[in-house]
Amino acid sequence: MIEILCEYITDILIGVGYTMLVALIGTIVGLIIGVLIGVYRTIPDPKNKFVKVLKKIGDYILTAYVEIFRGTPMMVQAMVIFWGFAKLNNGQTLDVTVSGLIIVSINTGAYMAEIVRGGIISIDKGQFEGAHALGLTHSQTMFQVVLPQALRNILPSVSNEFVINIKDTSVLNVIGFTELFFVAKDIVTQTYKTFETYLLVAIVYFILTFSISMLLRFIERKMDGNKNYKVLGSQNMDAESYVKEVNNG
Amino acid sequence: MAEKLTPSAQIGQTNSAQDSSVIIRVEHLGKNFGENEVLKDIDFYVNKGDVTCIIGPSGSGKSTLLRCINLFEKPTSGRILFHGEDVTAMRKPPLLRQKVGMVFQSFNLFNNLNVLHNCMLGPRKVLKLNKADAEKTAMKYLESVGMAAFVNAKPRQLSGGQKQRVAIARALCMNPEVLLFDEPTSALDPEMVGEVLSTMKTLAEQGLTMLVVTHEMGFAKDVANHIVFMDGGVIVEEGTPEQIFTHPQQERTKEFLSKS
Ligand SMILES: Nc1ncnc2c1ncn2[C@@H]1O[C@H](COP(=O)(O)OP(=O)(O)OP(=O)(O)O)[C@@H](O)[C@H]1O
Ligand SMILES: [Mg+2]
Repeated sequence: MIEILCEYITDILIGVGYTMLVALIGTIVGLIIGVLIGVYRTIPDPKNKFVKVLKKIGDYILTAYVEIFRGTPMMVQAMVIFWGFAKLNNGQTLDVTVSGLIIVSINTGAYMAEIVRGGIISIDKGQFEGAHALGLTHSQTMFQVVLPQALRNILPSVSNEFVINIKDTSVLNVIGFTELFFVAKDIVTQTYKTFETYLLVAIVYFILTFSISMLLRFIERKMDGNKNYKVLGSQNMDAESYVKEVNNG
Repeated sequence: MAEKLTPSAQIGQTNSAQDSSVIIRVEHLGKNFGENEVLKDIDFYVNKGDVTCIIGPSGSGKSTLLRCINLFEKPTSGRILFHGEDVTAMRKPPLLRQKVGMVFQSFNLFNNLNVLHNCMLGPRKVLKLNKADAEKTAMKYLESVGMAAFVNAKPRQLSGGQKQRVAIARALCMNPEVLLFDEPTSALDPEMVGEVLSTMKTLAEQGLTMLVVTHEMGFAKDVANHIVFMDGGVIVEEGTPEQIFTHPQQERTKEFLSKS
């Protein structure tokens, strides 16, 4: 096993690099897709009849997207999208890396849409009303008040998606994407050491997912900020000196 | 209808038929939730500088009336005039809400923001003040409610009374013409009711126009100049505190007051 590691270290690192790249970008783009869909779904019903119909149609399309991508295996999606593109393009396939990024992103987006929607729904109605009562618009309310809280609340689920993506990008080997699993298959064809190679790769996957989990948990804790706050000055201090003190610390 | 609410002074001049001191006029307001008729033919008005207390038993429609006034609920019938302008069919409720503030029973402070930023958000995003001016405004009102020392605290780190005082400061930062209060002390422990009521009393003395739904009869007697008694979705009786508390005319009013 050590020999394999030594001999193929560069290939393995390249595989790790591609795996992490596609998992990270896929998770981020997926989250962005999820936020956009989540926000779209909470737009209050438009007054204009025509706009209302358009919004309804949009709703159906998004529902179809979410259900289809959650209801089929990513390996199959990868094949359909990769070869579907080739078919439409006179046999010319899309770049494998680009394909991989697209597939993981839209697959993750389907899951994120539900996660974000759950996060938004879980925010107390009072938060919306507090913002609306000040005269904030729907989108100001969403971006200033609701989404920051929703995103904080769903961070564990988002981290989870990231970890899942690190593992699931292995299915992209079916389109020839050189992620970690693809590299492993390649090593096996050269060395015939099937067990050792896959055991090694399993360990590498575990190190990746475990360290990422730990890192994300650490970030979550950091984001919760200070448990305590500082009471500034004396109760009788004037406004100006407060502002100064706030700006200094 | 004009979408932009003109400043009060101008409307007072252009709309001579309207008494310019009337800020809000509610006309034949009705509200149904499905089959449930919650408000029936409500008529009343709020003058500039008025402190009006709405009292009445639970379920009588007090909150619904308040929520209709800042367009949180859509009336089923009738009109609400703000400086003579019908706002019930208004396309952009935010334009009204920046002038008609609201303080909630449950505070509704933004959990993701500290005290200072809770108070700066409205001025920044709605009034488009720059950061320095928004901060100055926030500090001014936080100081006036005695919460300036807590600018760095998150809402979850404050007591109920402190939260409500911050919520009042946050509403004041918008410099509203009217402030609506929906049972601002009902969620508070008894020992914290006083600090919030005295804050509100100070505001009343400074001439702020306030419309307060409350169960605090002491406050209503003391601070209000106008009392509205509601029951079963109608205004049963209204008048000065003296008229309502000392010489109520209606049986239902007497009965309600004897119980509370
Ligand atoms: N969103 C709603 N949907 C259906 N019914 C509602 C809704 N909001 C209020 N109601 C009903 O309207 C009636 C009046 O409610 P409202 O909250 O205005 O009373 P209230 O006078 O504020 O009572 P309380 O003193 O308990 O706060 C109640 O019967 C209530 O159940
Ligand atoms: Mg109520």
